[in-house]
Amino acid sequence: MEEERSFSDICGGRLALQRRYYSPSCREFCLSCPRLSLRSLTAVTCTVWLAAYGLFTLCENSMILSAAIFITLLGLLGYLHFVKIDQETLLIIDSLGIQMTSSYASGKESTTFIEMGKVKDVVINEAIYMQKVIYYLCILLKDPVEPHGISQVVPVFQSSKPRLDCLIEVYRSCQEILAHQKTTSTSP
Amino acid sequence: MACRGDEPGKPFSAILSWVSPGSLPTHRTRTHNICMVSDFFYPNMGGVESHIYQLSQCLIERGHKVIIVTHAYGNRKGIRYLTNGLKVYYLPLKVMYNQSTATTLFHSLPLLRYIFVRERVTIIHSHSSFSAMAHDALFHAKTMGLQTVFTDHSLFGFADVSSVLTNKLLTVSLCDTNHIICVSYTSKENTVLRAALNPEIVSVIPNAVDPTDFTPDPFRRHDSIITIVVVSRLVYRKGTDLLSGIIPELCQKYPELNFVIGGEGPKRVILEEVRERYQLHDRVRLLGALEHKDVRDVLVQGHIFLNTSLTEAFCMAILEAASCGLQVVSTKVGGIPEVLPENLIILCEPSVKSLCEGLEKAIFQLKSGTLPPPENIHNVVKTFYTWRNVAERTEKVYDRVSVEAVLPMERRLNRLISHCGPITGYIFALLAVLNFLFLVFLKWMTPDSVIDVAIDATGPRGAWTYRCSHRKRRSGKYEISKTR
Repeated sequence: MEEERSFSDICGGRLALQRRYYSPSCREFCLSCPRLSLRSLTAVTCTVWLAAYGLFTLCENSMILSAAIFITLLGLLGYLHFVKIDQETLLIIDSLGIQMTSSYASGKESTTFIEMGKVKDVVINEAIYMQKVIYYLCILLKDPVEPHGISQVVPVFQSSKPRLDCLIEVYRSCQEILAHQKTTSTSP
Repeated sequence: MACRGDEPGKPFSAILSWVSPGSLPTHRTRTHNICMVSDFFYPNMGGVESHIYQLSQCLIERGHKVIIVTHAYGNRKGIRYLTNGLKVYYLPLKVMYNQSTATTLFHSLPLLRYIFVRERVTIIHSHSSFSAMAHDALFHAKTMGLQTVFTDHSLFGFADVSSVLTNKLLTVSLCDTNHIICVSYTSKENTVLRAALNPEIVSVIPNAVDPTDFTPDPFRRHDSIITIVVVSRLVYRKGTDLLSGIIPELCQKYPELNFVIGGEGPKRVILEEVRERYQLHDRVRLLGALEHKDVRDVLVQGHIFLNTSLTEAFCMAILEAASCGLQVVSTKVGGIPEVLPENLIILCEPSVKSLCEGLEKAIFQLKSGTLPPPENIHNVVKTFYTWRNVAERTEKVYDRVSVEAVLPMERRLNRLISHCGPITGYIFALLAVLNFLFLVFLKWMTPDSVIDVAIDATGPRGAWTYRCSHRKRRSGKYEISKTR
């Protein structure tokens, strides 16, 4: 089963949430941001080149122009490879654990897996972020020493930063699975 | 943070299942969304802090939604929840001097506006004139068209340079504030004069003490000796210099006299000097900084409470002491004469000689046994000032303010220019216009519709309201619930 809904992020940008229900114990949530638009790319390139040309007319050194070309190219490569995340996926399987994948615009993927034994809970939290106060979803990890303590808080959907309505959607599904897992693990 | 240490998932799942409207108190017709702003809040300790906390708790009990905004204290930043779902924002703003934040009048606008919008705040209640953040919040709230209330907790002079400057700033800040609350009539008089206000918009609502926290315990004190207790910060304003004159004089006269001094501050050195010079190590005990919960244990050890403040708007300390059943000797400054009836307090001029006379009178009364027993004093005092009463009266101010109109921009500018003198008026009118433009810019950057509405913890639709109604309020009200 798959469905797609559109939400917005904390800055008002558009986000698409795809939910795939493979089975009652396994769900996947996929948040995709819009791809890099041609307009913003052109705008940034134009400003860098215009600035370089302005400097060139001042000091008449053609090195500046070639440097500007390299900077734009390298900057674009670096941005696509290390910064711009197109898609963030949260896969939750009740007997195994939670896997978070972020795919960069260049195609690079980075994956984190947390096994179920370590997961204490999934909650929505509030934080002050830049000049905003935002809600975010996070996974609480159990403290191996102290059974009731929390050793770490792992934020989910760090780059797309969806708004509360989207988070509640994901939160409810996660809680359903966690509850399912608890009932199955207590009754063998 | 949203999760409590013991059961992290619980609070939120409770928040998500919206509380049914049946659980809201039915006797209230209108409730307010109140935002308390001050630089001073727990974990910092003092009168303003406990005032904000207790008032908020009582307002929550009466069905209002209350949040508190303060600046970050060390590692304590972000959002925390205290008892009964009282939400506190610890904003990461730079602290400049004496726990007061630096002000540029603009840099706090984005965050404060975001909070006011997401919490749907209707009334901004700022506390303490020393707090830069409180004034900033008033300024921004007026720009945003929200109702404003200000509580003044301190008295000022008129003569020295710093007072003149603060008074000018206060004039600017209060000239277009909807309502002002003072803690005593002396304080009202002072504020009206300082800020050139219309006295009709100034109300007097005194502070209160929690009588259950300050109960007498006559068995804790030794009747063979006489103990004088002093609990105050050891700073100039609290008259520590007077205390250093009183100690040797009385200790020579009465060999059975002991002093217990609680509190910390820059003037502690002079007390230590006095103790050293007159060899009073066994008779003058300096306890250092006290936590609020320990104050009662110190108070009940004594027979007489001494307050040497040089300026004081209300003075909670003498009220707490009287509630513990001590005979109070105090300087006659500020609002102190209003606090207690004459038979419970001995008032003196703020000089060593007069205070010594007052103390001698108290010692004589104690020796002759004409003082009423502590239990009687406590029973009388506990009826005087309660937080519930304070909250009720504050609520009336909110009710009145909420129907008033906020000044529109052009009238606000007129008021600033006509009220604050030609130069200051124009400067601040210009700043108000700049602030307004900044707000327009922020609204363009992040429109109100993009800001998530926060889930209420308190108030008519509060997620905690239901939970507290069936969980009896515990006696340890000072305890801050463990949050992570």
